[in-house]
Amino acid sequence: MWKEIGDREAGKLRPKSFANSIKSNRIRTLQLSNHKDIVSPHRGAINSLQEYNEIGVDLTEGRYLLSGASDASAAVYDVQRSTDYEGGGLIARHKCIFVVDKQHENGHKYAISSAIWYPVDTGLFITGSYDHHINVWDTNTTQVVMNFKMPGKVYRTAMSSLATSHMLIAAGTEDVQVRLCDIASGAFAHTLSGHRDGVMTVEWSTSSEWVLVTGGCDGAIRFWDIRRTGCFLVLDQSHSQLGRRPPITERSTTNKALASKSLSAVQSLYPKPRGQQRKLANGNGTKQSLGVKMAKGSVRQRLHPGMLSIQDHATAHYGAVTGLKLTEDGMYLLSAGEKKKERTVVEVVDKEGSDSRLKLWDVESGCNTLVNFETVRLQTSKPIQLATTQDSSLVFVPCMTAVKAFDVWSGRTSSTFRGHYEYVNCCWFSFQDQELYTGGNDKQILVWSPSRLIGDDLVLTLQLRIFNPLKIVHILHMMKDLLRIRTTGVIDIGRCCILAFDLRLLDDDIPLGPMD
Amino acid sequence: MEEEREEGRKVRTLIEKATNSTAAEVDPRLLKAIKSVVRYSDPELRLAAQTLMDLMKRDHSQVRYLTLLIIDELFMRSKLFRTLLVENLDQLLSLSVGFRRNLPLPAPPAVASVLRSKAIEFLEKWNTSFGIHYRQLRLGFDYLKNILKLQFPNLQAHAARLQQERRERERRSKEILVNKFEFLKENFSSMKEEIKQTVDEIGECLDIVCTKEEAVPLGPVDDEDFVEFHSSELLQIRLNALKEGEKVHENSDNKVIFDALRESYKLLATKHLGLVQESISVLVRVEVADNRFRDSILKELIDIRNHLQSVKKKCEESGCALPTTANHDEEEEGFWEEGKIGSLENRRSAVPAKQNDDFSMAFTSNELKIKTPTSRHKDCNDSEMLIREDAKADSNSLRSKLLSEAPLMNWGSFLDNWGSNREILANQRGLELESHWGRVDYNAVIPAEKIAELNVHSTLYKEEQTEILPCRAPLRKGGVCQRRDLRVCPFHGPIVPRDDEGKPFDQTSPKDKINVDCRIDLVEHLAKQAVTNVRERDKEVAKKREIDKQSLKRAKLAKIREHNEVVLRDAALASTSRSAAIAEDMEATNNKKDTLSSMLRKKVTTKDRIAQRLLNTRAKDATVRELSLGEDANYREAFPNQW
Repeated sequence: MWKEIGDREAGKLRPKSFANSIKSNRIRTLQLSNHKDIVSPHRGAINSLQEYNEIGVDLTEGRYLLSGASDASAAVYDVQRSTDYEGGGLIARHKCIFVVDKQHENGHKYAISSAIWYPVDTGLFITGSYDHHINVWDTNTTQVVMNFKMPGKVYRTAMSSLATSHMLIAAGTEDVQVRLCDIASGAFAHTLSGHRDGVMTVEWSTSSEWVLVTGGCDGAIRFWDIRRTGCFLVLDQSHSQLGRRPPITERSTTNKALASKSLSAVQSLYPKPRGQQRKLANGNGTKQSLGVKMAKGSVRQRLHPGMLSIQDHATAHYGAVTGLKLTEDGMYLLSAGEKKKERTVVEVVDKEGSDSRLKLWDVESGCNTLVNFETVRLQTSKPIQLATTQDSSLVFVPCMTAVKAFDVWSGRTSSTFRGHYEYVNCCWFSFQDQELYTGGNDKQILVWSPSRLIGDDLVLTLQLRIFNPLKIVHILHMMKDLLRIRTTGVIDIGRCCILAFDLRLLDDDIPLGPMD
Repeated sequence: MEEEREEGRKVRTLIEKATNSTAAEVDPRLLKAIKSVVRYSDPELRLAAQTLMDLMKRDHSQVRYLTLLIIDELFMRSKLFRTLLVENLDQLLSLSVGFRRNLPLPAPPAVASVLRSKAIEFLEKWNTSFGIHYRQLRLGFDYLKNILKLQFPNLQAHAARLQQERRERERRSKEILVNKFEFLKENFSSMKEEIKQTVDEIGECLDIVCTKEEAVPLGPVDDEDFVEFHSSELLQIRLNALKEGEKVHENSDNKVIFDALRESYKLLATKHLGLVQESISVLVRVEVADNRFRDSILKELIDIRNHLQSVKKKCEESGCALPTTANHDEEEEGFWEEGKIGSLENRRSAVPAKQNDDFSMAFTSNELKIKTPTSRHKDCNDSEMLIREDAKADSNSLRSKLLSEAPLMNWGSFLDNWGSNREILANQRGLELESHWGRVDYNAVIPAEKIAELNVHSTLYKEEQTEILPCRAPLRKGGVCQRRDLRVCPFHGPIVPRDDEGKPFDQTSPKDKINVDCRIDLVEHLAKQAVTNVRERDKEVAKKREIDKQSLKRAKLAKIREHNEVVLRDAALASTSRSAAIAEDMEATNNKKDTLSSMLRKKVTTKDRIAQRLLNTRAKDATVRELSLGEDANYREAFPNQW
């Protein structure tokens, strides 16, 4: 830590990589948190978890966790500030702020399969349930403000966090069609047909507000551009490329020949999937992909509306696709699915979830990257919720009763989180706190946090090394986007001040008031 | 490095050795060894944790049970061990509680249930001790308790409740004590007053009585003279007379005084003394802030008590203040009629002051005994004997009944251990014999049941020899017939009791009747009496014999039955495999190697075997049928046009 601070000070490290290195260090020490308990009010399996996560807007980011459970209840927790303490302040307990369940007049009747925040603010949240309904709730009044009746059980709902021009809820249901529900008008905007079986999982692209990815029980993963009819890409497990594409900058200089060869081979078959408003985390890619798009424009136009039927039948998994997750830059897609669909009942009972796998797809080329994820056993009867870290180096996958963290690019297991006593259904990774939340059939929501708080780390380092107050302020300034409010109950001014508060507390036991 | 590995192997072998046993506990020495090895090195502890988790996966509940015991020992002591273990707590729980349906606990079901209950108990203990530091523990406990709804022993709550109850009880009793103390404080003076009054009353009464007594000349001066009297009867009479003179008799004059005395005495003995005693105990037990007051009262009370006791004693010595109770009367009457003089000694104090003439006799004789120690001693012995005789007479009927029922046993060495229920060391005969070929287990025991079985006794029926009486009919040549027959003598007819001359008893009486007229009534009566006596005795003897015979027969039957049972049981034991398993268990103490596997072995019962056989026959039938069907089908196939 100290070395990194020194490097950062000397300008050897860029701010982002400095932050990333500290974060990845912290992620490496994730373990079951003994200091933070989320008290689940649910009496059924937790099916869905989401923390409100609007990047860089205001202080509420990453503070409210929403959970949906099989007992038709949904609850919201404040994961920053605890409601009470136990064991002499050792354990901070986070009770739910509110819960809506069957007793609510407009509540769901059956299990809630999906609960998501409205991406713009925490004023609304959306729940999808097995009772064929999607409810839009007002968080402050806990009343249903909108209700969509779906043709079958709702498996998954999704809203695009990028969207500026639409407010669509994409819903995957038992039905073969994917429906887009418009909150603005309260009606179905589109129905997307193409799947041959129910749709287990739905995900908006993280790079384009128009692109939707769906995974169905028929084993297909389809990409849709909601401005056009039909899907424009069906992933085919038989098309594969070896390994990860090298970073674009590198490729353009060193490895060009090989990469472009493989890419062009693939891209001649497939149209460009990108929309115009593409946002990449690293801006280098934009120029390159635009170039590709220009080159392949004619192909796309020829192929897009009615794709070749052979392509339309392609499958990504032999069995149902149960989970999808796009990396933060939108370049890769992780999918979880069954290896085989046709199995006898006996076999299913025998080795449920034993025969499934995780695949990493290159969205650009539509190819399976053939990353071999070690020994994945997934439950296949329910959709599962995957999570990735911010830099997409790790993916958290619910594997039966445990959650495993895999290295996305090598497929190696980086760590296993054992704590649940029954199947885990969902996990959510909080970028800001580097905490992992997992929910399972045992009705528990577990918090996995780095072994030490970042403040502790910093305080320790500063205490050991630095005696100059000016320097402390300097360092604090450098680190300000890493720091979080601790559970001391002091808030609202700015993260710097709060850490200063912590430091002072350690130094001379006189707490400062918030600095103006 | 090499050494380290050596060490590592050590803890592993220790643990494996400790878990490879059929006992219900881990060998304490091994456990101690494991603990001491593990205490000083962390790698050892890691290895131990690893080994223990591996052992928990063994397919044998006994191994898992012992492993769990070791885990508990280490878990309560080592932090590192705890951190290592809670990582895999779900696995540990599923292996020890067996809550996953696809992973039930392995074979010996009895041990498995013990394992499960122990695991649950341990989890609760761990959770209460360390739950706050380990989220995993809390989770596991919570899961088992709230989701699987397992029943936890709830030891802590139970203990707390007990504690609470005890505290409550103590508090309540203390409260009561304090209340009593307060009451005492308030009423102490009045109580004292009352007691004083009673004591004064008694004193006055006694004074009056004593003055009267003094008026009467005292007898004991002459006592020395009476020692010369040899006749005890005379002595008794004399003493009696003296006593009569000595006594202050209750009469119409002093009846009032006696009544008052008696009443006061009663009040004193029953009420005041008890009250004082109780107050003292209250004062001793009570805890109050003001100790001085308490101590002073206590002192006073003790004084009062002593005083009361002395007064009471005085009353008793005066001998006339004892109130009569109906109960004593009854008892007295009883002893008089039965003549149990000895028992009177104990009741001396209870002898009523008011006595009629009959009683005075007994009373005085009693007094006499006290005054003359020598004679008393003798009497005492006599009375003891009397008592014993009495007891004998009392229990006679029961004892004879029991005796008549009891089987007669021949004497034998087995009587040494009669009724004892001990196990007997098989290989210890008091001789050190070194000539055994194999190893001898000196601790081998023969269980008590086996000993009893071995000692089962068989007896043969022996006919009882009855004495056949001679005929004793008078012979012509003189003397009597010495022929012995059971009932009828071939020469002299039925055998009847006769006197020395051979005359039957019955026939003599008429002759006497003629000869002696005046005493006819008496003689006749006597003779008849004698005859009936004899007959009765005969009858009794016969009856007794019959009873004996019957009981003998019954005993014999019982014995036969018992024997049959034993034989049957032996046969059954030898034939069933369950018993074979029992026998194996017996051997298990000697041979520990294969016991773990023997615990697992399925016990085949007779039912199983019958089922097996039935199944076999059924299967045979089925195969036969199938074969024939197959043949049929073949035939049909081969010759489609011929069937």
